[in-house]
Amino acid sequence: MTPRTSRRSAQAHRQAALLRLTTGIVSAHNEDDIYHAMVDGLHDEALGYSFLGAFIIEPDTGDRVLRASAGWPDAPESWRVHKGEGLSARAAEDGTLHYTADVTREASYLPSRVRGSEVDIPLRVDGETIGVLVVESDERDAFDDQDFEILSAAADQAAIAIARVRLIEAERRRADEHKALLDTLADLSSELELSRVLQAVIDRAVTQLGVSGGEVAIWDEERQDLVILASRSVGKDSTGTRLKLDEGAMGAVARSLEPLIIPSYHEWMGRSEKYSDITVHSVMAAPLLIGRRLVGAIATVHSDPERVFVEEDLRLLNMFAPQAAIAIENARLYTEAQRQRQYFESLVQNSPVAIVSLGLGHEIVSCNPAFERLFGYSTEEAVGRPLDDLISTADTRSEAEAYTREALDHAVHGIGRRRRKDGAFVDVEILGVPVVVDGEQLGLMGLYHDITELLEARREAEAANSAKSQFLANMSHELRTPLNAIIGYSEMLQEEVEELGQSALVPDLGKIHTAGRHLLALINDVLDLSKIEAGKMELFLEEFDVRKMIDDVAATARPLIDKNANRLEVRCGAEVGDMRGDLTKVRQMLLNLLSNASKFTTGGRIDLEVERDSNGDGAMIFRVRDTGIGMTPEQQARVFEAFSQAEASTARRFGGTGLGLAISKRFCEMMGGGIELESEAGVGSTFTIRLPANAAVAEPQT
Amino acid sequence: MAKILLVEDNEMNRDMLSRRLERKGYQVEMAVDGRQGVDKAKTMAYDLVLMDMSLPEIDGWEATRELRADPATKDLPIIALTAHAMSGDREKALEAGCNDYDTKPIELSRLLGKMEALLGGAAPAAEPGGA
Repeated sequence: MTPRTSRRSAQAHRQAALLRLTTGIVSAHNEDDIYHAMVDGLHDEALGYSFLGAFIIEPDTGDRVLRASAGWPDAPESWRVHKGEGLSARAAEDGTLHYTADVTREASYLPSRVRGSEVDIPLRVDGETIGVLVVESDERDAFDDQDFEILSAAADQAAIAIARVRLIEAERRRADEHKALLDTLADLSSELELSRVLQAVIDRAVTQLGVSGGEVAIWDEERQDLVILASRSVGKDSTGTRLKLDEGAMGAVARSLEPLIIPSYHEWMGRSEKYSDITVHSVMAAPLLIGRRLVGAIATVHSDPERVFVEEDLRLLNMFAPQAAIAIENARLYTEAQRQRQYFESLVQNSPVAIVSLGLGHEIVSCNPAFERLFGYSTEEAVGRPLDDLISTADTRSEAEAYTREALDHAVHGIGRRRRKDGAFVDVEILGVPVVVDGEQLGLMGLYHDITELLEARREAEAANSAKSQFLANMSHELRTPLNAIIGYSEMLQEEVEELGQSALVPDLGKIHTAGRHLLALINDVLDLSKIEAGKMELFLEEFDVRKMIDDVAATARPLIDKNANRLEVRCGAEVGDMRGDLTKVRQMLLNLLSNASKFTTGGRIDLEVERDSNGDGAMIFRVRDTGIGMTPEQQARVFEAFSQAEASTARRFGGTGLGLAISKRFCEMMGGGIELESEAGVGSTFTIRLPANAAVAEPQT
Repeated sequence: MAKILLVEDNEMNRDMLSRRLERKGYQVEMAVDGRQGVDKAKTMAYDLVLMDMSLPEIDGWEATRELRADPATKDLPIIALTAHAMSGDREKALEAGCNDYDTKPIELSRLLGKMEALLGGAAPAAEPGGA
């Protein structure tokens, strides 16, 4: 017990205490420094202030916690006084100073080391009571108005300082949050890989919120569940865990799309069994949304039973959630773009076609393995060099550069010869296209397809074909010469033996003659057909009088027609006039049709009709109709094919090469026309040739 | 009696056609290539030339052009003989200056018709007997 000092010296003590307090507070950097400066400054046994305590109200519980004390070295650390308990509860509740002259007479007094009097002064910041300064004396009724005044002044000073420090801390926290966001965004651009970004987000959230751990999950639209992609200090690695809708805290917010605080997780109905093996005390979770679309969920946990989540934490989490959502969305878009890029990249890399991309200066920007293989340059050797320096030769240089220039403007396509690194030449099909992105010309892309083998094969094929045509031409000439002798001498012999009166030999000589003629016709048809197939058959177009040609054909066919006792009716008016076409071929076709008609008709009638198509282009129509054996639909279907007389036996019965109609069909097509057949077995056949009156095929140079 | 020049490199064709024409009453002389054909046609007087088109030395078309270029033979009737009735052969022969055209193997009656049309009165009046 310390006797009270004199009034004057007491005043001096009070002034000294206030000065100490002010000095201490000025140098304080945070709230605790201020509390300490306040209690230490006021601690003066001479004034009877034997114990001083700063009890600060905990916002979420309302409990008062001892943050600084003086005069009682053994005071329990973080001594907690529950809301409404203790003498200082009155000051905490009504915000005014309360004086208790004899603490022992108060029921609510919580025994401490003193048994005297106590003053409770509220600490008020911005109109709100944040705590109570408790000053105790060992003596009863040790305080007077002077004390109340100095203690109130001290409390006010401390309050002002606290307000200042809180303001600075808030500022700093906001700055930290801002920096955290910037860091998150920086992560987005530097490490755009989903799980990495999410790990960065949860790491930052855990640090920022001062929680023990947390998790981020993304929403799997396809499977309609959440997948945890990043976790930190939740007691186990939960990465990869899937949570259904309504399962656990994140499943709950994924359903409600609202944030959620769960004070005691293990008593919560919605808890997930997946967390039964770890210590989770309280949980705060929020959905990650883009607009109203769910992209994931974030959760933070306290494993310390003393810690609970408060509104302030939710505010912080709500600041993080949209950023995490954007991070997920961006990463998803990026991953998608990356996948697409890789997809196209692999197309280019695996393409058998050489692909090279050029900048605006024609310099090589990139090339694919097929390009490396085709031209023998590695990517390292090629990049940066002008393409045409690399693969064009002196005589293809200007052509190559023209392609490159043109391809900057529009797609070009061609065939050219380029040079490999080893000097060898390659024949290539070239495709050049401009590369334009968002309307901006970036360069061009060149595609080279190696056609060396193709061209070689074509040259060989052409040479072989030419050799074949030459062979056929030679062959037919060589065959025809002895045939001419056979045909000519047999015919001559017939005349001679008749003159000599040896008529019995005539039929045999006639057979030799007929067989020779047939063989010759075969050779000629085969030659025609092979010329057509080889594209060597040429058209000789001329203007000619159709009626004159018809008379000539009818006269030529007369012996054939008479042979089977048939009757030929020709209808060709003078009005048909002239036509332009290949006279020899038209005649050959008509003779072939008349010859066929005569062969397959006996004692019947054959019509040869010519007319101009009255409607349309005035095409010439030639029609040969007979009353012969006709054809079944199956026979009709094959009649224009080479070597396809209706039946194999037909050729033996009726003669002919079986090539005439195949040749006629191709002749008609060459002249821009066609040939058609109508027939009925046992009734007869009608062949109709339709030719443009003015064939438009260019006359070949002679 | 009409005097015919047969320009033909193939011996059998020459033999066959000359004998058949002679049996029909024509006087036939022969040349074995284009050059000889042109020389004979220019130095002797013929009523008609039967000209094969594929000939050694100079071909039938060239020989015809040469004869047409010479005032002495520019009106001499020439019938082209080709191996096959191919488009182009006929046109080429007529372009070169041939009066007519026939294809081998020769169908005698058809050829005689064409010859008579060109010879007019100079055709043989009667057939001599035998070869």
